[in-house]
Amino acid sequence: MMKKVIKPMLAGVLAISLLSACGNNGNSEGASSGKVEVEFFQGKAEAKATFDKLITKFNEANPEIKVTQVNPPDAETVLKTRVAKKDIPDVVGMGATDTFSTLSKSGLFEDFTNDPLIKDIQPAYLEMLTNMTGLTEMNGVPFSTNANGVIYNKAIFKELNLTIPKTWDEFMAVAQKVKDSGQNAFYLTLKDAWTTLSIFNPLESNIVGLDFFAQRAAGTVTFKDTYREVAEKQLKVLDFAQKDVFGKNYNDGNTAFAKGESAMYLQGVWAIPEIQKANPAIELGVFPFPSTNDATKNKLVSGVDTLLTVAKSSKHKEEAKKFVAFLLQPDNIKQYISEQKAFSAVTGVTQDDASVADLKESFESGNLVDFADHYIPAGMKVETIFQEFLQKKDIDAYLTKFDTEWDKISNRK
Amino acid sequence: MAKRRIAFYLMTIPALLLFFTFHTFPALQGIFYAFTNWDGFGESYDFVGFKNFVNLFKDENVINSYIFTFKYAIVVTILINVISLLIALGLNAKIKFKNFFRGVYFLPNILSVLIVGFIFNYLFSNVLTTWGAKMGSEFLSQNILGNADWAWIGIVIVAVWQGIAFNTILYLAGLQTIPKDLYEASNLDGAGKFREFISITFPLLASFFTINMVLAMKSGLMVFDQIVALTGGGPGRSTQSIALLIYTGGFQGGEFAYQSANAVIYFIVIIVISVLQLKFLQKREMDM
Repeated sequence: MMKKVIKPMLAGVLAISLLSACGNNGNSEGASSGKVEVEFFQGKAEAKATFDKLITKFNEANPEIKVTQVNPPDAETVLKTRVAKKDIPDVVGMGATDTFSTLSKSGLFEDFTNDPLIKDIQPAYLEMLTNMTGLTEMNGVPFSTNANGVIYNKAIFKELNLTIPKTWDEFMAVAQKVKDSGQNAFYLTLKDAWTTLSIFNPLESNIVGLDFFAQRAAGTVTFKDTYREVAEKQLKVLDFAQKDVFGKNYNDGNTAFAKGESAMYLQGVWAIPEIQKANPAIELGVFPFPSTNDATKNKLVSGVDTLLTVAKSSKHKEEAKKFVAFLLQPDNIKQYISEQKAFSAVTGVTQDDASVADLKESFESGNLVDFADHYIPAGMKVETIFQEFLQKKDIDAYLTKFDTEWDKISNRK
Repeated sequence: MAKRRIAFYLMTIPALLLFFTFHTFPALQGIFYAFTNWDGFGESYDFVGFKNFVNLFKDENVINSYIFTFKYAIVVTILINVISLLIALGLNAKIKFKNFFRGVYFLPNILSVLIVGFIFNYLFSNVLTTWGAKMGSEFLSQNILGNADWAWIGIVIVAVWQGIAFNTILYLAGLQTIPKDLYEASNLDGAGKFREFISITFPLLASFFTINMVLAMKSGLMVFDQIVALTGGGPGRSTQSIALLIYTGGFQGGEFAYQSANAVIYFIVIIVISVLQLKFLQKREMDM
């Protein structure tokens, strides 16, 4: 009887082991070609083509290494699942987000604290990384940076004789003038919850400040007591927007702004290539979001758009770091930022595009502040809280919810 | 005889092993993680006992997603079954171009849910709003998916539009199993069309009705793709189904263990509902 059972069992086991053997073959080192294969995983769909060009250049200069780019949609989720099965890409390019912070805390990335790779990086961005992770280790190398401000249509500004506002009151006065002329001051795309962040981030960082989150974690302050001004200004913006703000998404917004349907567009510089795709002739500029009435206090929200890091578990750290060093070379990063309309984390490489000329002053004076939402746990899905608040317009309910959700997440840890 | 049995084992055991490795084992792992505080990627985790389960019942987002999912599933189940039964009756009647119409009504079933979702997403935001504006209606000129109170209706419309195709086919198959002579007999007795439906058609469709109810309810409760394509769970969390909450919280929010606990509870809920539904509807089949 036993024999009868064992035979088919063996056959089954054999079938499964054959299957898994196939799986392993796919991941082999490519030793047959004699090249070291380095996987470069990055999440920006917009940057895929640019990275491909740089990778081709690198592979030509280093015949013994073969870098391949992996660029899946919803990259952070993919990365987390790959981490869960202990299959971390050699080189990772990602935003300085809460995901980066949690992965760093799990000790998955190399420590670059004493690495010559960070020698030329602007100290402000290095500081942002360690502030965010709360670690003494430097687990990533800032590569490109971005800015979140107000994109404006130069033609409409000229036609209505408007100047760039420096304070909140001037900002609202400009919006009012546009509204009076019968046009939309802002084009909001609140169907996509994440676009609520480009209103929240400059307000939070300038009115309350990023130190708040550490105090909130310690339990000495609450959102309810601190956030009222932020909440009021979040709501105020809605008065000057187009109809059906909750029915439009990011893509609708880029197209509509490109067609001149609004004078201003609250977005980051990453939207500029998309807008220009929809209307190559548009003349646009970007200015810092004036959150307060003290012009000197209004800092530009700018964060690490892409940072590069190397997995601790990588079998080819040396080659991986060589690739990172290659990307950080001034001419390569210059090519990247000019194609991507981004800014460079490497000192001395500047973005000279006319559309972002108004931001140059903030970058040169270092009048920068990080994205506030990167300090809020991802599990809170804070953008959905904003979306709900902007729809229901109930400030008290919103702030209470902010507090209870924050506590709920920290209780679960 | 013995040789034959080996052949049967050879056919069944590989499938069993595959099913166990890729389905049962991960499910058991999920139950295991529900008792930990693992974030989904970290190196270490601790056992926290029933803490995740206790927190679930205190979590407003979880409760909201249950309310939304059930509201949605019940409405979709009723609509799909009523409409597809009507369509099946029509397609079974003696009409011209019958096969052509059958093909047309089956078409939505072969399209991918995501693609249908994205197409409707575009229709809701760009086409229907323009029509609404032309009709001069303030409400219709706004994208229904952007309204926290009405977005779920938009998802229902898409799910019903696509879902009736498959159920219609099942009803159609059922209608063809009903012997023609029953209708002839009722004709002789002078029964009207409505009487015919109540006394002959519907009772004889009972087993198909059971299957369609269970299938529609099950797919309603597991709704995920439509929501990803249409609203992403928004505005706010108003259209966040349980499956979507488990996915977003577990994989994007770093709450793997917590959402595993949610999945365990949900698993139990679905089993209970399916068993109840089958028991009730099968009893009804017997009675008839």
